Amino acid sequence: MAGLLEVQGLSRRFGALKALDDLSFEVRAGEVVGFLGPNGAGKTTTMRAIFGLTDLDAGRVRWNGVDVGAAQRRRFGYMPEERGLYPGMRIGDQLVYIGRLHGMSLADAQRDSDSWLERFGLAGRANDKVESLSHGNQQRVQLTAALLHSPELVILDEPLAGLDPTGIDEIGAILVEQARTGCCVLFSSHQLDQVEDLCESVIIIDHGHLVDTGRVDDLANSGARRLVVRVEGDRSAAWARDVPGVTVSEVTGGEVRLLLDDGVDTDDVLEAARRGGRVTEFVMRRRRLSEVFREALK
Amino acid sequence: MKFFRYAVIVAVIVVVGVLRRWRRRRDGRSSQPRGRLAREYVSSDVGLVMGRELRERLRSRFYLVGTVVILIVVGAAIIIPVVHHSKNTDETIGVVGGLSPATRTWVMTTARAGAVSVHFVTLPGLADATSKVKSGSINFAVVDGRELLVETQFSANDVSTTASLAHAVAIHLGESNALVAAHLNAQQSAALSHAGPVPIVAVRHGATKGVNATSLIGVILIFMMLSQYNTWTLIGVMEEKSSRVIEVLLSTVRPVRLLAGKVLGIGIAALLQASIVVAFALVLSKIVGSNLLHGTATLEVLSTLVWLVLGYGFYCWVYAAAGSMAERQDQVQSLALPLSLPLIVGYIVSLTAASATGPSLLLKILAYIPLTAPFAMTTMVGFGAVAWWQFALSVAISLASTVALARLATSIYRRAILRTGSRVRLREFRRTR
Repeated sequence: MAGLLEVQGLSRRFGALKALDDLSFEVRAGEVVGFLGPNGAGKTTTMRAIFGLTDLDAGRVRWNGVDVGAAQRRRFGYMPEERGLYPGMRIGDQLVYIGRLHGMSLADAQRDSDSWLERFGLAGRANDKVESLSHGNQQRVQLTAALLHSPELVILDEPLAGLDPTGIDEIGAILVEQARTGCCVLFSSHQLDQVEDLCESVIIIDHGHLVDTGRVDDLANSGARRLVVRVEGDRSAAWARDVPGVTVSEVTGGEVRLLLDDGVDTDDVLEAARRGGRVTEFVMRRRRLSEVFREALK
Repeated sequence: MKFFRYAVIVAVIVVVGVLRRWRRRRDGRSSQPRGRLAREYVSSDVGLVMGRELRERLRSRFYLVGTVVILIVVGAAIIIPVVHHSKNTDETIGVVGGLSPATRTWVMTTARAGAVSVHFVTLPGLADATSKVKSGSINFAVVDGRELLVETQFSANDVSTTASLAHAVAIHLGESNALVAAHLNAQQSAALSHAGPVPIVAVRHGATKGVNATSLIGVILIFMMLSQYNTWTLIGVMEEKSSRVIEVLLSTVRPVRLLAGKVLGIGIAALLQASIVVAFALVLSKIVGSNLLHGTATLEVLSTLVWLVLGYGFYCWVYAAAGSMAERQDQVQSLALPLSLPLIVGYIVSLTAASATGPSLLLKILAYIPLTAPFAMTTMVGFGAVAWWQFALSVAISLASTVALARLATSIYRRAILRTGSRVRLREFRRTR
C-alpha cells in the first residue's frame, strides 16, 4: 500500500486570526509521523482541512497526486481530538455503522469489529453502551472506529491524551504496526517523549505555518552539540555561566544540559565543571525531541 | 367528495413522483434497473444513516412508551363517545288507572331514541303509587292519564333522564287529552299527532354544521407527532454535535446526505407510528361500532396521513438547522419554543374552528401557509369545505416551500454543525463564510 499525502499552501483565516498560513508538508506511507506544535498552532484546523471539515481560503490537499474528495476520504481514518461516538449507542453497532459508512460490507464490518474488540479485551462488551466504558476503553473504541476499515491514511488528534502508560504503549504499538503494513500515520501529541519513541518523522508548526520537519534522527543529530554535566551539590549550574561559547539549555534536578558553540573544547568545560565541585556525569548527548521543539519555536 | 377523493390520490402520486425524480437526478442513474438502484440506495451512506436512525428510534423507550400513550389516547377518544351513546338507562313508570296502547307505544319509542328503556308497572291505586315513588322503586307514575306523580318537583334546569322523560310524557298526555276534548275524529287526531316539522333548506352547499370527528382526531395526532418527531430531530442533531461524533461522520459523509438520512429515518419512524395508530383506530372503531369509518372518514384519514408526511417534511428541516446551532440542552429549549409557535398557532386556530359551524376566513388563509397547512387543511377537509384543486394547491405550495427550505436548512447545517462554543446565531451567517 503506497501513499503520499501532500498538503499544499493551506491558508485559513477566522476573522482576525490566521489559523493556517500557507502551510505545506508531505507525509509518506509506512511512516509514523508526529504532528507537533503549541496550543493554537493550527494542528486541529489542518487535520480538519484534510477531511474537508473546514473551509479553506487557499491551498489543497492531495492523496497520491489526486485532490482529496469524498471517495478518497472514505479510505481515510480519523480520530478527532474531542472523541466522537454516540454515548447511548451499543459499541458493536456503532463500530459496524462507522465501518459501513467507510464502504465495508456488513459481514466484514462485524468480523473486524469483533476482532478489534477482542484485541482490546472488550469482546464481551459489544452490546454495552459507549458511555458505560472507562475513558481509556472509550479511547480504544474510538481508535477502532478509525482503523476498522484498514485505512490508507489515518489521522489522529491527540490519541495518547489521558491514557495511562500501559494504554500509551498499547496504542503506540498499534500505530507503529499500522505504519509497518503500509498505512500512512499522522498524529498530534504534546507528549514529546512518546512521540520521539514512536515516530520516524515529525512536522512542527506554529502560527499556522511550517517551522521544522524531518526525520527524528536527523533533527536530533542536527544543531549545536549537547553536553550533559552533573556536578555534586550543584543545583544552579553557576559554574557554567561564564564559560565562553557555552549556553545553559536546561537544569533539571542537578543535571545540566549545555549547548556548545563550534570550536568549544570539551576539556575546557570539564575544567570549569571541576572548579564547581566533583563531576559525577559528563557525557555528549544528541538533541531530545523536546529540545528540537523548543528551539524550533524560538 | 368524489373530487376530493381524486385530489388525495393525485397528491400522493405527485409526492411519490417528485421524490423519485429527485432521487434519480441526484444519483444520475435513472437507466439502472429498479431493484439494483433500490439496493444501492439502501446500502448508500443515506441509507445507512437512515437505517441507524430508524433502528435507534424503534429501540428507544421513548418510542415504545410514546406509541402506547398515543394508542391509549386514541382508544379513549373512540371508545368514550360510543360508550356514552350506548349507555342504556332504565326508567320504570307506574300506571294507575290504565294508559292507552298508543300512548305506551309513543312513550317507549320516544325513550328508545334517547337510549332509554321504559318499563310500565300497573299499580292498584294512588296510595300504592305514592309509596313506590317515595321508595324509588318507580321513577314516576301516570295517574288516570291526567297527572304525573313525582318524588320532588323538577327544577327548570334539571336535564336528568327522568325529568326529560316526565316532561315529554306530560306534554304528550296534555296534547292527547286536548285532542280528545276537542272531539276530533280519528283521522283528524292522527293528522295532528303525526304532524312533522317543515324542512330546513341550506342556501350554501357543501359546508356542514361541524367538523368531522376523524379530522379532529387527525389534527390532534398531527400536532402530537410533529411536536414529538421534530423535537427528536432537533435533539438528535444537537447530540451529534455535542458528542463530536459529527466530525467522524462528516469525515466520510457529505452534510446534505447525513441530514437527509437522519430526517428520513426519523420520518419513517413517525410514519410507522402514525400507521400503527391509524390502523389501531380503524380496527377499534370497527369493533366498537364507532362512526369513524362512516361517510367520508376514509378520505379524512388519508388526508391526515398526507399532511402528517408533508408537515414533517417541512418542519424537520427547520428543526435540523436549529439543532445544528445548539450544543447544550438549555440552548435546545430556547430554540424549540419559537419554532413551536407556528405549530401551536395552527393547532389552536384549527381546534377553535372545529367547534364553529363552518371554516373561518383565518382558517381558509392558514390552509395555504405551509407552517399551518397541516392543521388548517385537515380541518377544512373535516368541514367538507375544500375543493380538489384547493387541496392540490396547498400540497403544491407546501412541497415547493419544503424544497426551498431544505436548501436553506442544509446550508445553515453545513456551516453551523462544526462550530463549537457559544450558540451559533442566524445573523452570523451573513458575515461568515
